[in-house]
Amino acid sequence: MAYDFSYDVRALFARAMKKFLRTPISIVFSLLQPIIFLVLLTQVFNKFGSLPGFPAGGYLQFAVAGILFFNLLNSTMQAGISMVDDINSGYLSKILVTPVNRTAILLGRLSSDAVRMLIQSGIIIVIAYLLGATFVTGVFGILLLFLTVVFFGVAWSGIYLAVGLATKSSEATTTIGVVMLFPLLFISTALVPFKFLPRWAQTVSNYNPVSYGVNVVRALTSSGFNWGTILPAYTVIALVAIVTWGATLYQFRKVIH
Amino acid sequence: MSEIIKVENLVEVYADGTKAIDGISFSVKQGEFFGFLGPNGAGKSTTIKVLTTLLRKTSGSVTIAGYDIDKDAQNIRKVIGVQSQETVIDGDLTGRENLILQGNLQRMRGEVLEKRVDELLKIVELSDVANRKAAFYSGGMKKRLDLASTLVHKPKLIFLDEPTTGLDPQSRNSVWKYLEELNRNEGITIFLTTQNMEEADKLCRNLSIIDHGRIVVNGSPVELKQQIGGDSIALSFVNGLTGDEKEKSKQIIQNVKGISKVLDTEDGLVVYAKNASSAVPEIVRVFDQNGVSLTSVNLSSPSLDDVFLQHTGRRIRPAELKKSSSSQANLVSKRWR
Repeated sequence: MAYDFSYDVRALFARAMKKFLRTPISIVFSLLQPIIFLVLLTQVFNKFGSLPGFPAGGYLQFAVAGILFFNLLNSTMQAGISMVDDINSGYLSKILVTPVNRTAILLGRLSSDAVRMLIQSGIIIVIAYLLGATFVTGVFGILLLFLTVVFFGVAWSGIYLAVGLATKSSEATTTIGVVMLFPLLFISTALVPFKFLPRWAQTVSNYNPVSYGVNVVRALTSSGFNWGTILPAYTVIALVAIVTWGATLYQFRKVIH
Repeated sequence: MSEIIKVENLVEVYADGTKAIDGISFSVKQGEFFGFLGPNGAGKSTTIKVLTTLLRKTSGSVTIAGYDIDKDAQNIRKVIGVQSQETVIDGDLTGRENLILQGNLQRMRGEVLEKRVDELLKIVELSDVANRKAAFYSGGMKKRLDLASTLVHKPKLIFLDEPTTGLDPQSRNSVWKYLEELNRNEGITIFLTTQNMEEADKLCRNLSIIDHGRIVVNGSPVELKQQIGGDSIALSFVNGLTGDEKEKSKQIIQNVKGISKVLDTEDGLVVYAKNASSAVPEIVRVFDQNGVSLTSVNLSSPSLDDVFLQHTGRRIRPAELKKSSSSQANLVSKRWR
């Protein structure tokens, strides 16, 4: 049983990875926006870095964390869209008439999305490094950074999987993603230091999971292993995961029967 | 021979209250080529979805290969293959990878799977393009790949939902050929749905005609056509007929010798007669005498469409009939024979 289960996950993971890697153009396009932001913002906002009260290291150093999460918000949307595509093309039904383990369908999706986010994040980090960003916590810090990114990405993709499964519409899924993108990004600590946000935005930012994720990654790139930032953030991300994956499992059950 | 499908009083009501299947019962013997013939929206696809464990039934009982569908869906999935109405393959994968994945999900692996996939690629004549992305295949090739993917695990029973809809005649013929071979040589039981009488007539040894979620009649194509009692003569009229004129025409034609039945259709009248060819001149004469102008008279041996017409009062595909003008009526009836 357990053997069948891991076999199913591997088969579906391999399918999703092939689909992703065989369309290199989609990798390029998916990264275009974050990379443009990375280059553009660090050029345009360059002088912000010398404002009094701005964290040391300049704007680029500050923005890397934010750009990683900008990419994640886009990338998690893709998880939902892939699910919608499989539903509407009939592929999900084709899989469901085989004895495949039902949970393996979600895990195959999830694991391939995680790898996709790792690849994308890796590319962004390399570009940031080439542009002059530094990573003060070294190899272990970067590993923890990747773990944080994947953890957040998995938790967040639950939103789009649930929406995709409920609406079976890639338009609906995309619209929700696009509408949420900029408020989540700008009313957080992703691109602007907390102190620079107006009062109301600071309040919102305190409830915005993106801020928690960004703060962990920023600590790892710029200041060090601040466990006081990292552990509460992991708790918040875990809570997000419980809610979004609860919704996803609920919707998935409805779809498969 | 044992029964591989047994359905009793199956009912499927959708969440919005639509009764898609309204109490059907039928059984299919092992090794049989069985068909569900009916128009769009008759409940054919819904029946397949229930029988293949994709949709939970509202009530009734379903047994597939001896397994109860509520208690033992997992075992059913191991012995069935399913091809849905839309062609479903993954265009980003190659033909071979599509089949390997399907085998993997049936828990096949290694050399056994590789061999089986090679064999299937050869059968559906895709060996040459096996390593090309399936997105580049033609419609007919995709359909064949889809069919092959339902066969990887050597199922005992396959369900095919309108397997040739949308195919060109050449591709359709090759699909028919594969299906007949599969059934004959490998003993696979085939459950097929179709709205194409020719297909049902040619392939199925037994069939149920289904309409509005109910089974209208069961039997072999030959039996069903024999029950018609004679050839069919389709009559169409200048400017169609009003209700009164129709009644009058029916009166007129009742008097012709040898006529066993007269039916209204949207396009005119259909008359059944034992010795139809000798009845035709007489029919033409009586209409002439009564001053009713015929535009065409069409003689054909009874088809499954006539069976459907007799039991429901409608054609299976009225829309398509209407499209064809009376001058093409000959062609139409030939195609349906």
